[in-house]
Amino acid sequence: MAATVSTPVGSLSRQRRLRRIGTGILYVLFALVAFTFTLPFFLMLSNAFKSAAEIVRIPPTLFPQNPSWSSFRTVLTEAPYERWFLNSLLVSGTITLIVLFTCSLAGYIFAKFEFPGRSVIFVFLLVTMMVPFPVLLIPTYLIVNELGLINSLWALIVPAMVSAFGIFLMRQFVAGIPNDLIDAARLDGASEWAIYIRIIVPLVRAPMAALGIFTFLAAWNDYLWPLIVINDLEKSTLPLALTFFNSQHAQRYDLVMAAAAMAVIPVIIVFVIFQRQIVNALVLAGLK
Amino acid sequence: MAICLIPILALIATFSLLPIGWAAWLSFHRYNQLAPTAPWIGLRNYEFAFQTDPFFRNALENTVKYAVVAVPLNIVFSLPIALGLNHIGRFRAVFRTAFFMPVVASAVAVSLLWNTIYAPQVGWLNAFLEQIGLEGQPWLSDPDLALWSVLVAAVWQDLGYNILVFLAGLQGIPDDFYDAAKVDGAGSWQRFRGITLPLLQRTTALVLVLTMISYLQEFTHIQVMTAGGPIHSSETMVLYIYMKAFEDLQMGYASAMSMVLMGIILLITLAQLRLLRARWEY
Repeated sequence: MAATVSTPVGSLSRQRRLRRIGTGILYVLFALVAFTFTLPFFLMLSNAFKSAAEIVRIPPTLFPQNPSWSSFRTVLTEAPYERWFLNSLLVSGTITLIVLFTCSLAGYIFAKFEFPGRSVIFVFLLVTMMVPFPVLLIPTYLIVNELGLINSLWALIVPAMVSAFGIFLMRQFVAGIPNDLIDAARLDGASEWAIYIRIIVPLVRAPMAALGIFTFLAAWNDYLWPLIVINDLEKSTLPLALTFFNSQHAQRYDLVMAAAAMAVIPVIIVFVIFQRQIVNALVLAGLK
Repeated sequence: MAICLIPILALIATFSLLPIGWAAWLSFHRYNQLAPTAPWIGLRNYEFAFQTDPFFRNALENTVKYAVVAVPLNIVFSLPIALGLNHIGRFRAVFRTAFFMPVVASAVAVSLLWNTIYAPQVGWLNAFLEQIGLEGQPWLSDPDLALWSVLVAAVWQDLGYNILVFLAGLQGIPDDFYDAAKVDGAGSWQRFRGITLPLLQRTTALVLVLTMISYLQEFTHIQVMTAGGPIHSSETMVLYIYMKAFEDLQMGYASAMSMVLMGIILLITLAQLRLLRARWEY
């Protein structure tokens, strides 16, 4: 009797021990995979901190022998790096603010107002979302050219001021707000704009944050469009400027990596701070 | 209030609707921005692409090869990592950050970074290979290797995104299902096969379609790392369209190719959705 009772107990604790070992192996495996995965970033920093002499050494050193900030300093003094950074910040920030305004307003109107042609227009909106960007590239260039905006930061901002996806996203969330709430405010004498600003916007803050993060990141990292409409170094955004810089300093990996690191690190710091929101935003954006 | 929609819709009309129509119009014309006229030439742009231009066929083949390899490669790595992350309790946020960092980095910066890794003499990859007794390769200047070298860098950068989408899908499966299965005596493999896999199919379909669409439009990594070379061996459709339109100024022909690309994307997306739907239904 005693034996039959003790066996399952024994096997259970063995099972638990096995599981604990399994979890341990999983952690070790993950640490290894994550380490290998982040190695390229380490290599980027390692190169950025090397001297001009060390960068051409064969075979390359893994750790810089005399780590110094000199390549960062060279990038900042020899190139208009601050200008590029400010251009990127200005363009991405402006696009984000405008997109948040236009998309939340249009989303609200599509969700809560009746007007002739509403569903037809909305279907058109969904159709434009499906067209891949390369198709729009040439005509949008010609339109921006007609408007006389080529080679100015406006060329980057104006075509990006509305996003069909953003309107769609905001409409879905505004639709969930009860009409009674809006009607009650209207009875109390609130103006239409007051309703939008005081009731609608606060209630859709989460999806707006998601849309804002997604829009900012996309604008900050965009390359193809600036490549086409900007040809002045002074008006470049960071990704475009990085390729210019690279072509000027072809074999100076120390400088190129310092310039690249300065474009990447601020975004990664912001990402680490707002990790949860950004993760939600990007998943949400994908689940359209 | 609805009046406020007019300027917003005007913007959409100018920068989304009008370009679609204009692209279609351009594709039937010989259009050069500098030429005084743009004569209607019917389907000649399309005929030229499919019957005469060897570089169009080359770009098309490269694009398809690239997407067909990159999509499964991406999923083979992202799904197991997401499954593992879902299992891990402590440090999940740390690991998630590690895998996600490349996604928020700029594609140009990442391409330049991989250029230094692939560099023939001062690059780490060849140094590492020689250390373990293998031969270094001209990763970006060998026509047989260039496309695949860029692909590795691109998949490295994109992986974190799909890991997150899979993770969101996994966390959306209610614990009750697993608890019920455990009560019924299902082992962990049975639970994986019977619950996780079928309930993850919607997410998998989404990931497949979105990843395929994005790899069919590959541009930045290729343009920065190889510029389509050596000898056109890594030229993709979007890169070729870009070069024809903005370097050779053949915007009519480039528009025709972009319409073909859109058709291909549409067809592949529909085919994938149909295939996957057929699988859901049993």
